[in-house]
Amino acid sequence: MPRLAGIGELENLRAAAVAERQRASMTLIVCGGPGCQASGCRAVADALSEELAREELTSEVQLRVTGCHGFCEQGPIIIVEPAGICYCRVEPGDIAEIVSTTLRGGVVDRLLYADPSSGERVRSAWEIPFYRLQDRVLLALHPEIDSSSITDYIATGGYSALAKVLGEHSPDRVIKAVTSSGLRGRGGGGFPTGRKWATCRAAPGDEKYLICNADEGDPGAYMDRGVLEGNPHLVLEGMLIGAWAIGARQGYIYVRNEYPMAVEHARLAVAQAREYGLLGDNILGSSLCFDVEVARGGGAFVCGESTALMASLEGKVGEPRAKDVHTVEDGLWGKPTVLNNVETWANVPLIMRNGPAWFAAKGTKGSKGTKIFSLTGRVKNTGLVEVAMGTPLRTIIYDIGGGAADGVAIKAVQTGGPSGGCLPADKFDLPVDFDTLAQAGSMVGSGGMVVMDEHTCMVDVARYFLAFLQDESCGKCVPCRLGVDRMLEIVTDITEGRGRPEQLELLEELGETVRETALCGLGKTAPNPVLSTLRYFREEYEAHVRERRCPAGVCRALIAYQIDPERCTGCGLCRTACPHGAITGESKQPHTIVADACLRCGICQSECRFEAIVLTERG
Amino acid sequence: MPQYVTLRIDGANVVAPRGRTVLDVAIEYGICIPHLCHIETISDMGACRLCIVENVVDGRTKVTTSCTLQVQEGMVIATNTERIRKLRRNIAELLVAEAPNSRAIQDIAVRCGVKRVRYPFRNRDCVLCGRCVRVCAEMWDARAIGFVGRGKERHVDFPFGVRPDFCKRCGSCVQLCPMTITPCDGPMGPGEERLCGKCESQLMVTERMPDTCVLCDLGKGFACARHG
Repeated sequence: MPRLAGIGELENLRAAAVAERQRASMTLIVCGGPGCQASGCRAVADALSEELAREELTSEVQLRVTGCHGFCEQGPIIIVEPAGICYCRVEPGDIAEIVSTTLRGGVVDRLLYADPSSGERVRSAWEIPFYRLQDRVLLALHPEIDSSSITDYIATGGYSALAKVLGEHSPDRVIKAVTSSGLRGRGGGGFPTGRKWATCRAAPGDEKYLICNADEGDPGAYMDRGVLEGNPHLVLEGMLIGAWAIGARQGYIYVRNEYPMAVEHARLAVAQAREYGLLGDNILGSSLCFDVEVARGGGAFVCGESTALMASLEGKVGEPRAKDVHTVEDGLWGKPTVLNNVETWANVPLIMRNGPAWFAAKGTKGSKGTKIFSLTGRVKNTGLVEVAMGTPLRTIIYDIGGGAADGVAIKAVQTGGPSGGCLPADKFDLPVDFDTLAQAGSMVGSGGMVVMDEHTCMVDVARYFLAFLQDESCGKCVPCRLGVDRMLEIVTDITEGRGRPEQLELLEELGETVRETALCGLGKTAPNPVLSTLRYFREEYEAHVRERRCPAGVCRALIAYQIDPERCTGCGLCRTACPHGAITGESKQPHTIVADACLRCGICQSECRFEAIVLTERG
Repeated sequence: MPQYVTLRIDGANVVAPRGRTVLDVAIEYGICIPHLCHIETISDMGACRLCIVENVVDGRTKVTTSCTLQVQEGMVIATNTERIRKLRRNIAELLVAEAPNSRAIQDIAVRCGVKRVRYPFRNRDCVLCGRCVRVCAEMWDARAIGFVGRGKERHVDFPFGVRPDFCKRCGSCVQLCPMTITPCDGPMGPGEERLCGKCESQLMVTERMPDTCVLCDLGKGFACARHG
């Protein structure tokens, strides 16, 4: 394919690509997102393409492996277009039936999504409550596009925003449009994107850089991964528009090496864009010259912080530096640099395509547009969820997420990853936007949402996140290195039954100190898990400290297992399962647990079929 | 010709050349901001966070380290508010709990108002202030030592743990190390660690004059910027 020399050639290519897509009368869409990959969609896609070849249907039926659709809980997912039929949890063995039934115009009932309450089968994907209640903008593009194909992207309107911008918008007009759309950074800070671009454009110097931050590292979050894997050209187009706006010639996509498919797709997209002349000199016949390099991160969480990321890109140790002079003035190699998150870049082409008013129409006063959340933990429907800013937590967790996974009441939700906070169930009516969550002591962050139920100990959760942050702290500044370490020491004391009441105040004071004085964003937000759980679940801390009791029955030092002799049938399952040999008893006689030998791993409880093993407090 | 800016530090109008840091300027004017990792003429990394000050920007008070903050026209800085004193005390407490066997750090803790230590003492040999690493790299251009590891693992070492030829044994690293000044009563063994508060040095004066540099002896010991 020769380079596209102008906007006219891009439109010709688009027309050809659309015609090519319409050639097939039917399209089978297989979700190839990270969730579905884990449930084996690769085998399903292979089986499907073999089946189509065997039945000689390759010209009529198109197979499209796409990025994440979002409903990871039900993966692997196949959608049959144009009817829009959605099949869930498909296995390679189901393929022959799907192909033959679909050709006849029928539907494989048993593979349709079943409503958990009524058991009713739902035919179309968009009628499933999980999808219906969302406001999908970015994620809605994923099923349309084979993520390794630039022509697919162009056929669905790709690079039209770039053409529009190059044809009729001055850089200032682009910045004005982004500013008036109200777009705020999706990476966690929520800084107004338009203002960032304007400062960088105004900063002195000809050499400027753009960075796409795809170093997503929060436990349980994969929004950026989903977008970069599923629609890499959208991110590239956003960066191209950004390059035009601020006058940059070079951009970087910093993606963590643990995301091999995101690296692969980003590299492929860059290579394709170069081939088509969408990266390089005089893009689409304009004066825009811009190229992008894909840089792989080594997996340090702190490298998601802007200054640490830039140090890492420069080949130095990935450590943050003081940001008294902002990176938009003094960033990568000391030059003005704009760093935005994957999702922020992905929103830019859509704003330019549909106009800033379209974007600003969604969301709340201070937070516009939609945001992708990765809903995980103890809910029925885990996956990627895209909703308008301002949607209440309750809608996301109960209506879209389907509520508690196995009937245990939901107690809290942890938003914003390790740096975010835990919000209790009585705060679930809060609208999800940058300012409201920050006021409530948590944050939107990059969009992780971990739902916790009554079987989760909040002190243990705080300990887990502190341990994560202590591990990931770069160790440069005292409050983060020593402060987080001491907080972990105290919280570990509490979970192991050595806590003292005055330690709770110390924990709060120390948390405040770290929050105020740490060098970078990681340190400043590191106390959030502790401070928010102390604020909303203080009674759990009190129970650990004063009564030496873990209300959720999680902290091993504070619990004990006992066998109810009434219920025990003496089957011996627990005795053989116990790895510590702590269970004794004659066959067909009630067994007993030797308290001294028991390490309270809980294996016996999950093995017992008679609910004879009960959790008690350790006396 | 250097350009000069006017700013206010603790209510005093101060004139300073552009490009200098708030900490340098404050010390020059006799306003004492406790600091540990800062050495004059060497670049600052903002590691110890003791030199935090309040900087009022657009009506919002930001806490930031004065060693990395460059002076700007019209800046309003407060070095010694209630809030800053409390934060500084907590940081000094973390430091002294980590390394009670340094008189420099013991004195800084007293200077910052630490009365008791609420954490178990650890008796480490290094607080990772990075003075040695920076003086080696910047003053002697040797880079014979550097930081190794991340977070809890972070420590100062030679490349691959072997002393390289380009280390000239100049001893600057040792000279500037706050850990080389032992407590008056001699080193504390494991389990004997405590907060040293007996010393009736000029440090006690700082309780009455909390934001005035009194040219304390401690400064001489670990080469406080005031002593040069």
